[in-house]
Amino acid sequence: MENGWIWFLLAVGALLTGSLWVRLRPLARWHRWRALRERALFEDALKHLLTFEHSSRDATVESLAGSLRLSQKRLLRLIARMEAAGLLHSHGAALHLSSEGKQWALRVVRAHRLWERYLADEAGVPLGELHHAAERAEHRLTPEELDALDAHLGHPLRDPHGDPIPTATGAVTPLEALPLTDWPLDQPAQILHVEDEPEVIFKEIVAEDLRPGTRVWVLERRPEYLIISDGQVEHRLTPVVAANIHVAKAIEGPSQPAELVRLADLVEGEEAEVAALDPDCRGFSRRRLLDLGLTPGARVRVELSPAFGDPRAVRVRGSLIALRREQAAQVWVRGGSRSDGKSQHAGASQS
Amino acid sequence: MKPVQPTMSTCETCPAHAQLAQMGIDLRKYDRVVALAGNPNTGKSTVFNALTGLKQHTGNWPGKTVTRAEGGFAWGGIRYKLVDLPGTYSLLSASQDEEIARNFLLFGQPDCTIVVVDATALERNLNLVLQVLEITDKAVVCVNLMDEARRKGLEVDVRSLSRDLGVPAVPTVARTGEGLGDLIRAVTEVINGEVRTSPRRPPAPPEVRDAVEELLQLADGLELSLPSARWVAYRLLEGDHRVRQALLSGELAQLVTAQAAPSRRASRKIALEGAQ
Amino acid sequence: MSDRVHTLTPQDVLVRADALQRKLGGRFRDKIVESLYDEAERIARRAVHTRTDRHWDLDQRIDRLVTSPIFGMPLMLFILAVIFWVTIAGANYPSELLATGLFWFEARAVELFNAWGIPWWITGFLWHGVYRGLAWVVSVMLPPMAIFFPMFTILEDLGYLPRVAFNLDWLFKKAGAHGKQALTMAMGFGCNAAGVIATRTIDSPRERLIAILTNNFVPCNGRFPTLIMLATIFVAAAFPPALASLAAAGAVVAVVLLGALFTLLVSWGLSRTILKGEASAFTLELPPYRRPSVMRILYTSLIDRTLFVLWRAIIVAIPAGAVIWILANISVGGASLAQHTADFLNPLGVAIGLDGVILLAYVIAIPANEIVVPTILMMYLGTGMMIELEGFEQIRALLVDQHGWTLLTAVNLMLFSLLHNPCGTTIWTIWKETRSRKWTLVGALMPLGIGFLVTFLTATAVRAFGWI
Repeated sequence: MENGWIWFLLAVGALLTGSLWVRLRPLARWHRWRALRERALFEDALKHLLTFEHSSRDATVESLAGSLRLSQKRLLRLIARMEAAGLLHSHGAALHLSSEGKQWALRVVRAHRLWERYLADEAGVPLGELHHAAERAEHRLTPEELDALDAHLGHPLRDPHGDPIPTATGAVTPLEALPLTDWPLDQPAQILHVEDEPEVIFKEIVAEDLRPGTRVWVLERRPEYLIISDGQVEHRLTPVVAANIHVAKAIEGPSQPAELVRLADLVEGEEAEVAALDPDCRGFSRRRLLDLGLTPGARVRVELSPAFGDPRAVRVRGSLIALRREQAAQVWVRGGSRSDGKSQHAGASQS
Repeated sequence: MKPVQPTMSTCETCPAHAQLAQMGIDLRKYDRVVALAGNPNTGKSTVFNALTGLKQHTGNWPGKTVTRAEGGFAWGGIRYKLVDLPGTYSLLSASQDEEIARNFLLFGQPDCTIVVVDATALERNLNLVLQVLEITDKAVVCVNLMDEARRKGLEVDVRSLSRDLGVPAVPTVARTGEGLGDLIRAVTEVINGEVRTSPRRPPAPPEVRDAVEELLQLADGLELSLPSARWVAYRLLEGDHRVRQALLSGELAQLVTAQAAPSRRASRKIALEGAQ
Repeated sequence: MSDRVHTLTPQDVLVRADALQRKLGGRFRDKIVESLYDEAERIARRAVHTRTDRHWDLDQRIDRLVTSPIFGMPLMLFILAVIFWVTIAGANYPSELLATGLFWFEARAVELFNAWGIPWWITGFLWHGVYRGLAWVVSVMLPPMAIFFPMFTILEDLGYLPRVAFNLDWLFKKAGAHGKQALTMAMGFGCNAAGVIATRTIDSPRERLIAILTNNFVPCNGRFPTLIMLATIFVAAAFPPALASLAAAGAVVAVVLLGALFTLLVSWGLSRTILKGEASAFTLELPPYRRPSVMRILYTSLIDRTLFVLWRAIIVAIPAGAVIWILANISVGGASLAQHTADFLNPLGVAIGLDGVILLAYVIAIPANEIVVPTILMMYLGTGMMIELEGFEQIRALLVDQHGWTLLTAVNLMLFSLLHNPCGTTIWTIWKETRSRKWTLVGALMPLGIGFLVTFLTATAVRAFGWI
């Protein structure tokens, strides 16, 4: 009996290996993997050079080595290959992108940011997870896929962090924004951009739930910290963190909290009129809410709001629709029959 | 099931048929193809079952029909194939079921489309009707669940509905079979051209009108004069991947030829023999 | 290409469309939908005249009760328990009747064959193999299904299921999954393959994949007979007769709840590991309650489901019956092939509190789970005494007295029946839906792995504490 087991396992093992070999074609796979890896190396190097160019610094072999984590020997080989391909020139220790190299680099940046936009809008991937996923996907997308993605997303101008997305021709709309550290006190501002590197700081920003589109006011500024408000909660940020958040003058929009309340804040039995969907509500979830008839002017009535109101069921255009709190919070309504509700939400804008 | 690939010679005479064959519709036993669209929970499957005598499983919950079901029925000596599309709220969201439905309506070119609506929630259901009417001229609105509407104290003026939409609207109670005869009669009349339809297509919203007009003119330059030209323009302005592809590959141009083909009925007959 | 006149190409149109799209900004679609709804509102206002809306109040009152935080969940469990109780209590007698009749027929047929002098192996193959497999499937499965499905269909037609999804959504949200997963699970009660297809209504690919991979944790109707039989023989037997069927129903409900628990746990685990992400948008329509139509319920549940499932089981049971008979009757080295295989699988089986025959039955039953119990019984019979089983008492005698089943065997078999690889059809469906070998493999092996682990832990714990 003991031997039987061993033979059985051996036979199953051999069968599996054999069939996998035929099915998966490891050799072909390996070649593909190598080609992809080579492309990824090229592209990562190009991105690095582009980043340095934007901050008007000279990229060097050392800086590249630090970024790509390659051995000296392999790195030099890579640089030689890229130079031969006409992607970069070296001037002494400094490395510069050629115009072709720059085009390519911009294409990678475009792929990265479009993919982030896609993940955020359509797949609901949280802000903190986007970067890593896009780091992988940016090397795989073909130009045709990119164009289709771009059109599908409605040619977005910015990625979820607020960084501009280069167009197919490589044009970049520069960001006109100030770091939060330089923003005047008590002026309403809108977050345009959140720097996703270094990661420690980015994680802190994500943890505070500050994202592009959020309206904020700087309430207090001290050398050790800043206090800002997003209309609901006050956040205390260190200057290092605040410097990684870029803001501009807030655009007057439907998210103006003064007259409107969120559908999520209505209580059972309350009726109101939809004013707008939050600009933060994008992609699939926006399309879905629109399709269900939550367009401006529609009457809504909260019919079921059990437990903690999550999910809640809302009567809209004759049918009963269940929404989670997150979705209900993205619908701005006016004229809720509750009288005290409005003042409670209006307070934040006049501080 | 292997879709019948039309050869070049049959394609010239039977473009509409070729379109349907490409959608995987087996046409050997049928003269006409009728699509069944509608919101979830409108009793669409019940209408389907009542018409075809099939017993597709129905249940009172959204999104139950996720695949395309097919059945047939005969009326006045003509054999109809009924294709039950997934229930959707809209044709714009590009979720999987919506894509199945709208690809069929646009590229499959059914002879007529029945849009089943819930008489108790007309407003929301009409959203889909208007979208279907953007795509096709040949449609009949089936105002189902009339009994429930009556119970809820709703009076639905089907004549006014029909006038406003520009296509026949037929009140039905699919569960009891009430009004289904009228429904089929309306379908045949639309197919035969006895009833001229002039689907209601609300003007494009002012903010986007210029862009839509410009694109429509460009489409005219390509001789893409589809009844659904404006809808195609909408889709292009939204970056719809499938429609972009169809434009590039010439699939849209093929649809134009399909619709311009003289005497579709005759060509369908030829096609039926030719495809075998 | 140097045309004299520049002709317009589709490419030009596309480029222009892109430029226009960019100019319009991201709110094009909002405008279109708004205009459509404005128009719809206008048309509807002209066409619809309201007299009252009393009826909605009634719906709302029911909804308040059904989704209430206090009554909602208990009501759901109560309904589930009642359904199983009625099924178990009602199926017992018809099952025995059917078994008696079918085996009586077998005995007569065998007598007749013997009288005609037909060789023993033809008689054995046809009647003790093929026919007996069939008879088991029919008598064990038909009555419970004929009772269970109509009741379940009534729930579906009423519109109660979306309310269940509504009530359970907060749990799925915590698990990082979609509330509609509850609906796909409800479909899974009928058939896991159907449940996997039903996940198409979940729009987020991540959440859809979670729903696909975990659907197998809902026992499908092919597995209910196993659960019901075990609950009746082992659990019910431990209680006084008055409470027996209640206890059995309770055991089945417990297994279903355990399945739901595993669904949530695994969903939670998946959305924190290989399928990372936050819960996406959730919208679900709660349709108005509708009176179910009796004819359709009978048709749907009896023809569409009961006979369909039975037919599938029969198709698989016939060749399986033949295979089992061959395995049991071809001897190599003094023991039958079935004996050899079962002996071979026995160490593994014993380690997880089962035995080799049960594992072999699960291997044979990969095409359809319906035949697990019949396979086990036939194998025990084929390798042991040829007796006729006419009801649960004899089955109990066979399993407990002759093959040493204990409460642990029964409990672990119930667990294993809940937690093992999906049937062939479901695996195939997962592949068709995901088009990915990787996810198909995960979908097939993950439940099996969990099953082995759970049963092994149970068996080890029970033995360590010396309870058995």
